[in-house]
Amino acid sequence: MVIKMLVPYPDKCTGCRFCEMACSIAHENKVNHSDARLQVHRRNVRLDFPSVCTHCVSCGEDCCVLHCPVEAIKKTDDGQVYVNQEECTACGTCVEVCPFGVMRMEEKAFNCDLCGGDPTCVKFCPMGAIKYEEPKPEQYEAVKSLLAEEE
Amino acid sequence: MAMKGYAGKILRIDLTTGKSSTRQIDEKYARKYLGGQGFAVELVYHGVPKGTGALEPKNVLAMAGGTFDGYPVPTGGKTIFAGKSPATGTLAESVMGGSIGAELRHAGYDALEIAGKADEPSYIFIADERVEINDAKDLWGKDTRVVPEALKKRHGWDVKVACIGVAGEKLSRIACIDCDDRQAGRGGLGAVMGSKNLKAIVIRGTKDLVPAEPEKLLEIALRYQKIMEAAPSFIEDTKYGTGEFLGWVNKEKGVFPTRNWQEGVFNEREKIDPYYWATRYVTKNKACFACTKPCGKLFEVKSGKFKGVAIDGIEYETLYSLGGACGNADVESVARANELCDILGMDTISAGVTVGFAMELLQRGVISEKDAGMRLTWDNASDAVPRMIEMMGNRNGFGDVLADGVKEAAKKIGKGAERYAVHTKGMEPPAYDVRAMKGHGLSFMTSTRGACHLRAGFYAPELVGKFWRWEGIDRFSPVGKGAMVATMENFMCVYDSVGLCKFSRGFFLIDKLREVIEAVTGLKFTEEELLKIGERIHNMKGDFNAREGITRKDWLLPPRITEDPIPEGPSKGHKISTAEMNQMLDDYMAARKWSKEGVPSPEKLRELDIS
Repeated sequence: MVIKMLVPYPDKCTGCRFCEMACSIAHENKVNHSDARLQVHRRNVRLDFPSVCTHCVSCGEDCCVLHCPVEAIKKTDDGQVYVNQEECTACGTCVEVCPFGVMRMEEKAFNCDLCGGDPTCVKFCPMGAIKYEEPKPEQYEAVKSLLAEEE
Repeated sequence: MAMKGYAGKILRIDLTTGKSSTRQIDEKYARKYLGGQGFAVELVYHGVPKGTGALEPKNVLAMAGGTFDGYPVPTGGKTIFAGKSPATGTLAESVMGGSIGAELRHAGYDALEIAGKADEPSYIFIADERVEINDAKDLWGKDTRVVPEALKKRHGWDVKVACIGVAGEKLSRIACIDCDDRQAGRGGLGAVMGSKNLKAIVIRGTKDLVPAEPEKLLEIALRYQKIMEAAPSFIEDTKYGTGEFLGWVNKEKGVFPTRNWQEGVFNEREKIDPYYWATRYVTKNKACFACTKPCGKLFEVKSGKFKGVAIDGIEYETLYSLGGACGNADVESVARANELCDILGMDTISAGVTVGFAMELLQRGVISEKDAGMRLTWDNASDAVPRMIEMMGNRNGFGDVLADGVKEAAKKIGKGAERYAVHTKGMEPPAYDVRAMKGHGLSFMTSTRGACHLRAGFYAPELVGKFWRWEGIDRFSPVGKGAMVATMENFMCVYDSVGLCKFSRGFFLIDKLREVIEAVTGLKFTEEELLKIGERIHNMKGDFNAREGITRKDWLLPPRITEDPIPEGPSKGHKISTAEMNQMLDDYMAARKWSKEGVPSPEKLRELDIS
């Protein structure tokens, strides 16, 4: 079975942030950028890029699954990371370690659920800046190094 | 119960006292003014005392997100600024694609009203309920790329920043406001910020925006996104940007104003046409906030004299103002001049037209090279245009004379210079030679902010020959244009109130906005009710301007348009005669039920519930 994940393409991102708004409405029926399971960074005239949940395909040592002190973050058989809402203590460790800044927290932690295999962000990006396909570690690494510049 | 869709409050900040206050808005207010421009115009109309100078503390700078701003409506992410304009003395509003209006709504406010003047250079910081006026002395003198970066490092990368450049600080009457490398360009509202010692507005909002019908809204969004993607204009705009139709306007129609409107055809057009430069210089697509139809281009110059230039552009209007209008056929020079306008904070249209005006003065011997401090000649445009723009932004040398646009420059220069100053109400015109687009010429006069292509958007009906309710439109004829322009102005006021890009007006004709407004706000409107709101907004602006003594005598077209016919090309021989000008104005006033002098009648104001 071929595993599919979200793959970001920074050079195609226009910085419009439509994906963030659509994601938030699709999951929460309202717009709040901190509810969006992904983030668009509009850095400057040269640089816009999406940061998506890679489901720990490319997190290395910063993996939320590894760091969760109560082991509430798990992986499904097809590689999807999810937070068990009953077990989560909302300690915030996962939000801190997530190298992509897309582990979110309201009352409990939550992350991208790939919209059940039909990701809203992909559907709403007219430029192909986020694709749903075989994971591409080099794309994730590229985004990681862009994010590091914001530290 | 709180209204859906809206944030529900307006924030007022007085920079003189340092105090802020909020007021609730209700459904009645929303139904009367809709949002965006409607809210901003209401704040200026009621907030600025009669006779206030545009650069005096009592002037109000209003900012509002449109009704759709913050929601996933394709191309619906516009922020609207308004105030009394230092360029025209009228109520001017200016629209940008930056995301600060949406951020303001997330902070809990549909609109922001800024009055007074800070003692020292300051910036406003809003984080939901927290409102601060902070010291900006370290940012004063800095450009529009340095300022947002510094403020994001201070307040976090999530904040949104609108700021002015040096031109706004130095009260240039053509100064703009910048956010996300997008500009509220027209009307000199950047100078209003400068006059208030206000360098920047920084916002972080964490509140929910809750639409009335979320599922319906997503369905609408996807439906329109597909409609747009299938449209030829999507493909062209995405590849080439807004300059995509430059060749057509220039060669087929002959209405591309060239060398300060001396000609209607730019013979070196190929060199600045995006069909030439897109493949050579564009490295990425850029979009306004919430736009799924990106006409923005990242234009980068990688070698040569202008190496290092990187802009979101070059837009159609700028290809005219810093290109054709200055006889400048060097696209790299146009890009550099565009970049200087952006970082120094000047409107590219007004700045470019003003340089072109000075170049014609030199051509005619009204000024000398010594006056200009350089060879400001058509054949030296590539070198001279960016240099003069830089001098204008910093008010150095002759740049100081030009820094306030053509009307002020002509006054300072004297010696008959005003004969060559192309403007209405003090606003430099956009890229359509209205001598052969007569209804569009009328809209230059009736536009409440001076010569503008977007208050009525009348270039589209006249160049294509049909739009919306009309067919068989003859661009060379003045007949029937008064009522059409008035109706289109109302149409556009609705557009700027919901906060949609005007490039979408062919997709969302007014009737089609109804379901989108309902999905966002739950409010039901008929098409006529929406147009009535548009009419109300336009009448408020008209009434404000009349109150400030700006009437028909101040609206008239300049002699270049009424006396000098287009010399060559497909529109050869055309001008708008004084008789035609007056005929169209009479028709317009009658359609508006305004006096012949351009004053809204008390009956009309009553009918629209304006007081």
